[in-house]
Amino acid sequence: MIKIVTACAVLFSTVVSAQSVSDLKGDELFGGMKARHIGPALMSGRVSDIEGHPSDKSTIYIGTAGGGVWKSQDGGVHFKSIFDDYCQSIGTVAIDPKDPDKTIWVGTGEVWTRNSTSVGDGIYKSTDGGTNWKKMGLEKSDRISSIQIHPENSDVIFVGVQGALWGSSEERGVFKTTDGGLTWKKIFYIDKNTGCSDLVMDPSNSDVMYASFWEHRRTAWSFSSGGASSALYKTTDGGKTWNKIHKGFPEGKYGRIAFAIAPSDSKILYSVVESEDASKSGMYRSEDAGASWSHTNADFALTIRPFYFARIVVHPTEPNTIMKAGLFGSVSKDGGKTFKQLGSMHPDIHDIWFDINDPDKVFVGTDGGLYRSLNGAKTMERIENLPICQFYHVATDNQEPYNVYGGLQDNGSWFGPSRSPGGVEARDWEVIGVGDGFRVYPHPTEPHIMYSEMQGAETVWRYDSKARQTKVITPMPAEGDPKLRFNWNAPITTSSNNPDRLYIGSQFVYISNDRGDTWKKISGDLTTNDPAKQNQAESGGLSIDNSGAENHCTIFSIAESTLDENVIWAGTDDGNVQVTNDGGKSWSNTTEALTAAGLPSNTWCYHIEASVFDKGTAYAVFDGHTKNDPNTYCYKTTDFGKTWTSIVKNEHVYGFARAFQEDFENPDLLFLGTEFGLYITIDGGANWMKFENNMPATPIHYIDMQAKTNDVILGTHGRGIIILDDVSALRQVTNEVISNELYFMDVPAFTMDEESTFGGTSTETQFVGENPRSGARISYYLNKRHTFGKMSMKVYGMDGKFITKLSPSKKKGLNTVYWNYNSMAPKVAGGKTFAAGAFFAPRVPADSYKIEVVKGKNTYETVIEVKYPENSVYSLSERKYQQEVTKKLFDMNEQLAYMVYQLDTWSKHAKRKCKKETKLVKTATKLITELTGLKEDVVITTGDNYVGRAENQLREDLADVYGTIGGNVGPPTSSQMANVELMESDLAEAMDAWKSIESGTLKKYKAALAKLEIKETKIKTFEDFTKKEK
Amino acid sequence: MKKILLSIAVMSISIVSMAQDVTVETILDNYFEAIGGRDAWNELEGHVMKASVDNQGMEIPLEIYAMKDGRSITNISVMGMELSQGAFDGEVSWGTNFMSMKPELSDDETTENAKRGSGDYPDPFLNYADKGYTVELMEKETIDGIECFKLKLTKNPMLADGEEVDNIGYYFFDTENYVLVYQEQEIMTGEMKGEVAVTTLSDYQEVEGLMFPFSISQGMKDGESQPLEITEIELNPEVDEDFFSFPGE
Repeated sequence: MIKIVTACAVLFSTVVSAQSVSDLKGDELFGGMKARHIGPALMSGRVSDIEGHPSDKSTIYIGTAGGGVWKSQDGGVHFKSIFDDYCQSIGTVAIDPKDPDKTIWVGTGEVWTRNSTSVGDGIYKSTDGGTNWKKMGLEKSDRISSIQIHPENSDVIFVGVQGALWGSSEERGVFKTTDGGLTWKKIFYIDKNTGCSDLVMDPSNSDVMYASFWEHRRTAWSFSSGGASSALYKTTDGGKTWNKIHKGFPEGKYGRIAFAIAPSDSKILYSVVESEDASKSGMYRSEDAGASWSHTNADFALTIRPFYFARIVVHPTEPNTIMKAGLFGSVSKDGGKTFKQLGSMHPDIHDIWFDINDPDKVFVGTDGGLYRSLNGAKTMERIENLPICQFYHVATDNQEPYNVYGGLQDNGSWFGPSRSPGGVEARDWEVIGVGDGFRVYPHPTEPHIMYSEMQGAETVWRYDSKARQTKVITPMPAEGDPKLRFNWNAPITTSSNNPDRLYIGSQFVYISNDRGDTWKKISGDLTTNDPAKQNQAESGGLSIDNSGAENHCTIFSIAESTLDENVIWAGTDDGNVQVTNDGGKSWSNTTEALTAAGLPSNTWCYHIEASVFDKGTAYAVFDGHTKNDPNTYCYKTTDFGKTWTSIVKNEHVYGFARAFQEDFENPDLLFLGTEFGLYITIDGGANWMKFENNMPATPIHYIDMQAKTNDVILGTHGRGIIILDDVSALRQVTNEVISNELYFMDVPAFTMDEESTFGGTSTETQFVGENPRSGARISYYLNKRHTFGKMSMKVYGMDGKFITKLSPSKKKGLNTVYWNYNSMAPKVAGGKTFAAGAFFAPRVPADSYKIEVVKGKNTYETVIEVKYPENSVYSLSERKYQQEVTKKLFDMNEQLAYMVYQLDTWSKHAKRKCKKETKLVKTATKLITELTGLKEDVVITTGDNYVGRAENQLREDLADVYGTIGGNVGPPTSSQMANVELMESDLAEAMDAWKSIESGTLKKYKAALAKLEIKETKIKTFEDFTKKEK
Repeated sequence: MKKILLSIAVMSISIVSMAQDVTVETILDNYFEAIGGRDAWNELEGHVMKASVDNQGMEIPLEIYAMKDGRSITNISVMGMELSQGAFDGEVSWGTNFMSMKPELSDDETTENAKRGSGDYPDPFLNYADKGYTVELMEKETIDGIECFKLKLTKNPMLADGEEVDNIGYYFFDTENYVLVYQEQEIMTGEMKGEVAVTTLSDYQEVEGLMFPFSISQGMKDGESQPLEITEIELNPEVDEDFFSFPGE
């Protein structure tokens, strides 16, 4: 059988070798490449839904706006992401009441329908508490508001589908399955513009359900909440018939209606109604299960932004205690008559959860993350380990380590390091803008100067982080200017040709060559300037909602060519792409060419990337989702926009795209960020591969690339900053490369990391972002996973001298092995304790090193180069001195180890032999006594490894000074050298004592053995004893 | 050349058609066939793996004993000291404390779980139904760039913080050769509860007709791990009666 397996393996390797890069799937290529998450979580992101286990207070789930589903199993102390591979925009999480430990349902598509909300793609089920998930249909539901599971029959489930936000759709209303989600039937439907925004089952009678229906629509330039179809319905026959329950509600049209039942008394209902007559909006209460309602409250806190805050939560045991989501959140203790604000926390409250056993323990989901309270939401504390923040943009500087800059939904603008001692912690981040944050850029050559903005460019700041001073530099309208239209997420960008240059776009492109002090308009209105799309003051529907979020006919993306400062591209939210070749004197509208290439008209240009290889080449990414178009659009031009070609096919990529990055060295290596994650092509777009290694399916809003490190940095809208470290291996993957069994990738020379490892002050409950792996990166491609036979990796000096062994990675695709520049630790004398210093393996000097992989019968080699840091405070001669002393101490440790090995071996031999041969007893006893005496002088032989530790002997002292000097980067101190001298003299003394035993009692013992014809023990040579390479 | 291509094509087709009616039993039949056959594994009384792990440039040798009746011990040799970990003699579970260097009994729950796991040798899938285990075929997944069959193995419940909890592991078999390449197990207790521990297996080599992985990496999902490199495996080792027993103070 083994032969057959081998034969199969050979056969398949033949098949595999015929593969071309255009056939590769992501998980066949990316191998050991792994994304790392640096959060942050000091400002978290929007929590859309909270659901607790019905009987186990330790288990809590939260759904988030763009960061998936998280589960806590310790009552809300730690949370773990459990939904990484699927749509990260969550409408609702539901727990099967009959099987609450295992069966969990997730309805995707957030229902708090702000402009930047992400889309959903159906309903999912787990039958093992969230470890594995299966999509169970309703793919076109877009947003699922509610899942109600029959308390006695887990196969019977009712789902409220709010439906498409950005267009008409028929997959909305109330759906029912009777087979656990295998098939669905739409049991209640109003029309294609009205969805079920809440579906609630009476906890005392599963035939009774309430459904609020909401007529609503967003466009890129408007929002409309309300209409004749909005209504609150009730069924008493398990969903067969539904009737409006409006007695006591105001006349006219309704908007969004929030709804809740008091769990302790099913007759008491609450609803918050958005009404045509604002004075009649607010809280309604029914005490007869909906037969009639009375208006109890119309406070601002109850009526504000119904589309964002339509949630009521009733206390589990007190029917008159209710909490309402809102700008600050409200609580009523008198059945909804009066309300008081919840404890201080991040604004924009979306959901509330009472602990089942202790309702004073309350969890609250906000735009700034999850909070908990131990006193009924009077005072709140924030959960600090949820890195679910929503970046709109990301940029990097060129410092060491480089910093990451970006703006967040409702959480300001920030920058923080890409790595930090102990990991990237909350304390590493600095705030550089308030409000909603969007584009943030460092000055290209003076990174203490940075630019940030808030929504609609209401304020654009220049910030000097040295002086800690801000200056507002927003361009203002001058005489003759029309009203300036800035997008909610207005484009700012810097220039690689002039570090003091800054661009910003309204409907015009503005340029400043003095860091924003002077602005010059360098274009006319580049948008369609469609007046029908500029009525934001009337936007909102029944409740006017003019926040700036719907500003339209604006420029959204600006890109100056790195090759020619006069070539500037501008893309608009209403579908135009314009380019100038003369620094803005004249602009060409390339939109017709895009339409000719297949782009639907007026599709939002989300990003333009000016190629670094050719000034006539650019890429443009378009997002049609605000027109209810889910397709992926990415086009390339090579002739300044005269013609465009699509470089992406919908069957290769899932989700509409927003973000794009061209590699700096290989024009065929491109990165595309979509609503559902990251795609990479290595052949210019012929084959796009999804990158899924520790990379959730989260919306990517911006991609940047750091030129020094070749890192790709993703600004995600739900999972913070995610980094792919050094993607340079991807540049080198060709058909030729992947035809090899093993192919070493070219790697740059590596600089030894000599920074201190101090750091890490975060507490156990705070998120800490992952640092990149340190060490030299040995990179290779394997055309097949290594499964059979041995595979080894060793490091040699260029002279062939063995340095150390490494553990090879064995995945099909790209593999990376990290070498920490260490050789191997010395052989240390056996003792009763750890000689901690001797665990240390010396670092190699800067040089070239040969890496050898033996895989079956084949040997592969490559050479890597290792350098010292350029900014080191130590000279080469100081380093050489340190290395020589370390080597000397290394050898001394091994000399002592060899001596102790001989002592122990002879001691054992003597003990064993004298038991059998009485004639040996006298000599053997003397020998044992002398050997034991010497050993006790050089090695700890009593005590333990902690506070019962005995006084150090030579072995432990020698190991300590070796580890101390070896672990330093610079030369030994004079005190250390004095200690080395002491060790040398102690070791010499010990060696003398050994020699004296060897030439005395041991010699006699050997003679006695010879006389009795007893074999001597075998003593290894020093070389064999200390040999490292096996 | 044409013939070779043809035979490859035929081979590929036959594998594909085989894959379509794949079941738990066909996967396990192929798996055991690939690693030496059920009969041979049933006859195995125990084995010892001589191995080493690399600790930042210091090689630490280990000997891992596992016996058919569930007895086990890992003996580690560091700087002249001998430590034991994961020791279980069928009744008592124990290990050496690294600070005091003295043997200490495991807590009751660990001991009970060791007893409950003692039927796993040499492979939890061998005679799994007799042990009361169930196996379910899940959707295929790609692991290390290769397509794998994924089996969910539910063993008898274990104890976690005093509660009986499901004992579920996921096992991934290369669809090409049916060898086990990867395992996932959810951590059920402590601060890491809910995290997934993973094991990656490779470097399969034959030992007296049985195929063993000679490289085994254990770690947390998406985390780093250092493999256990096995240098030698001895089958049916002879050990003293008290080899696995708690030595006392």
